Amino acid sequence: MAQDFDVCVIGSGAGGGPVAWSLSQAGYSVLVLEKGPWLRDADFAKDELACCRRSHYTPNLRDEQHVLEDADGQGGWRALPSRESGRDFWNGNLVGGSSNLMSGFFHRMKPKDFRLLSEYGPIEGANLADWPISYADLEPYFTRIESLVGVSGQARPHSQLEPRSTADFPLPPTAEHPVANWIDQTCEQLGLTPVRVARAILPQPYQGRHVCSYSGYCGSYGCNTGAKGSARVAFIEPALASGRCQLRPNSQVRRLISDAQGRVREAEYLDAQGQLQRVSAKLFVVACQAIESARLLLASPGPAHQQGLGNHSGQLGRNLLFSAGGAGGGYFTYAKLDEARQAQLRVLGPFVNRALQHWYEIQDPAFAPGLAKGGTIEFLMAHPNAIPLARSAASQDGKPLWGLPLKRKLERWFSEDRKLSFEVFNDWLPTDDCFVSLDPAVKDKWGMAVARVRLGAHPRDLQVGRYLAEQGERVLKAMGADWVSSSVSAAPPPNLVAGGCRFGSDPAHSVLDPDCRVWGAENLFVTDASFMPTGGSVPYTWTIYANALRVAERIAEQLAKPV
Amino acid sequence: MAQLRQWRSALLTRRQVLLRLAGGSLALLLPVSARAQLAEADSWRLIDALQQRLLPSEPDRPDAPGAKEINALAYLQWVVADAKLDAEERAFLLRGAGWLEDLCLQRLGRGFVSLSPAEQDQMLSEVAQSAAGENWINSHLSYLLEALLSDPIYGGNRAEQGWRWLGHRPGFPRPNRDTCYRAG
Repeated sequence: MAQDFDVCVIGSGAGGGPVAWSLSQAGYSVLVLEKGPWLRDADFAKDELACCRRSHYTPNLRDEQHVLEDADGQGGWRALPSRESGRDFWNGNLVGGSSNLMSGFFHRMKPKDFRLLSEYGPIEGANLADWPISYADLEPYFTRIESLVGVSGQARPHSQLEPRSTADFPLPPTAEHPVANWIDQTCEQLGLTPVRVARAILPQPYQGRHVCSYSGYCGSYGCNTGAKGSARVAFIEPALASGRCQLRPNSQVRRLISDAQGRVREAEYLDAQGQLQRVSAKLFVVACQAIESARLLLASPGPAHQQGLGNHSGQLGRNLLFSAGGAGGGYFTYAKLDEARQAQLRVLGPFVNRALQHWYEIQDPAFAPGLAKGGTIEFLMAHPNAIPLARSAASQDGKPLWGLPLKRKLERWFSEDRKLSFEVFNDWLPTDDCFVSLDPAVKDKWGMAVARVRLGAHPRDLQVGRYLAEQGERVLKAMGADWVSSSVSAAPPPNLVAGGCRFGSDPAHSVLDPDCRVWGAENLFVTDASFMPTGGSVPYTWTIYANALRVAERIAEQLAKPV
Repeated sequence: MAQLRQWRSALLTRRQVLLRLAGGSLALLLPVSARAQLAEADSWRLIDALQQRLLPSEPDRPDAPGAKEINALAYLQWVVADAKLDAEERAFLLRGAGWLEDLCLQRLGRGFVSLSPAEQDQMLSEVAQSAAGENWINSHLSYLLEALLSDPIYGGNRAEQGWRWLGHRPGFPRPNRDTCYRAG
């Protein structure tokens, strides 16, 4: 029987985009099913209300939610539906996924990140595993992504610079905020070498996309010029231009239907009109972001997959990862600066582009004997959104503040100083207490079980996060910032999520084989961050892009073989 | 991005506190007495006065707008007309007016609207002593500050007075009728 398409890709974000692009370039017919709407560049405004105060890019929690389990402090777990808690775990349901809303800090993982268990040894309570591939296997794809996405930066030497097959980035760094020089000067005094952070942001026109407008509103916002290298502009829209890729937005896949041999035959989905549809393909790719990918596979049992697609090992949904760490910052008071520095501090738009990876490995007997895994400290100007700043001002000693005292405080808070922030990224260790399952009771509005997510963190995550945050604070204090503080929490940020379908060489302990093919389902691949057994200490997007491109080549090889 | 998440989550988890207080249903939260059942028009009259107390106008400081100048009441009416807003949140925002009115009548024998600013502050401080009352005031403060600092396309921040007062620089492009958030 002839299939409708060669390949059906479920999810159009960072995991699905490169596959759709690569396979349509290779001449295959590709269908992309995306649950969210297709918003183009012109649909994105710098609108604080839409961006950040309403569910404009995510589902209404009344329709679809999660059930989140937190430690109750007594050895048990307390589950709360997110509609009740208000803890929204959606990231970006739109064509291109949450890569539309990323800040685009682009870091490669380091060679040792692929071998966390072998390099640093076991940690009690953590399910560490080496990756079945090495940095050298992924390096060519990191490099190709630089050109395909238009990554800007400068590969200047530092102690943790990963090996590169090309000398430098295809595009020079974006325009930089004057405060970047302040950071450089202080770091030089402290004997630290800042990383000049690469960005998935265009400093000049590139492949039909426009240059960054430096609006100052980037992270959490969609890009209006196409400068941000989202999966939509870098992969999906170019794939559509090939004429071999078809995109169906507003199409939510409910389950995958597999046969007695374990092969996936069809995807069942609700179309934009809410009608149930089925589509067949030779091969299927799941890339719905880690939590929803695990949910879809768990919700798709078949004759050869009784416990969910690819769950023979009982590993499906397990070892979910977030990014550990936290955030901190300090305030520079205008009145304490000379006029030149005041003017520098007021600049809105260009990027700081500075990080520290000096403690990517921690060699400090006061912290741990020998060498321990650390992480990244990323500097950025505090987000320019006005409403949360005003909202924090409307509170005094834990009580609401109003009237003229509130008005005078708002005037001070909006004029006296500006905050330089930092974010800490360190490994979220995989444990038995962080996983996705199907909720036995709570359904979405179409009657499908929602994902229940247990959010346990390993105590080491907090120790490393605090160590790094202290180093970040030290730099800010040395820069002369006031009110320096940081907050490291075990509550994960939902926007950096990976794992749940870890890849490996042994089907008894993994969900995917080293090519990210589901064990026991030879025509099913998972290409979002779900494959990662450990996540490294950097944001995931570049790694997802690179791996998806790698897997797309394996898929093309499989499709080229005579059946 | 992480920071924004925290802010948003801080805003939203207010609901969790409220729910716990109310034993699972926000509708049960506010004490309902016969006297406290205000007609909708009277609720809005009280909320208008509340907003003007929370963010007062200053005749000698035309650069520092109050709730009235920024059109905060019309903004809140747009917020509660949004079908995507939780019905319980809407009920909480409006029915708290009856609660406050009841307190004013009990304590001072007059409605909130006819109190002096000092008396209004006194009543609000008393309301803020209960967790539910504090949350009610905080909810109104949140929407009031949205009215002050969101794009004028949503009905508040009239003539960008909020932005100009605090020297806030919005991003471009600004939302238009095709790109803005659309209430359900």
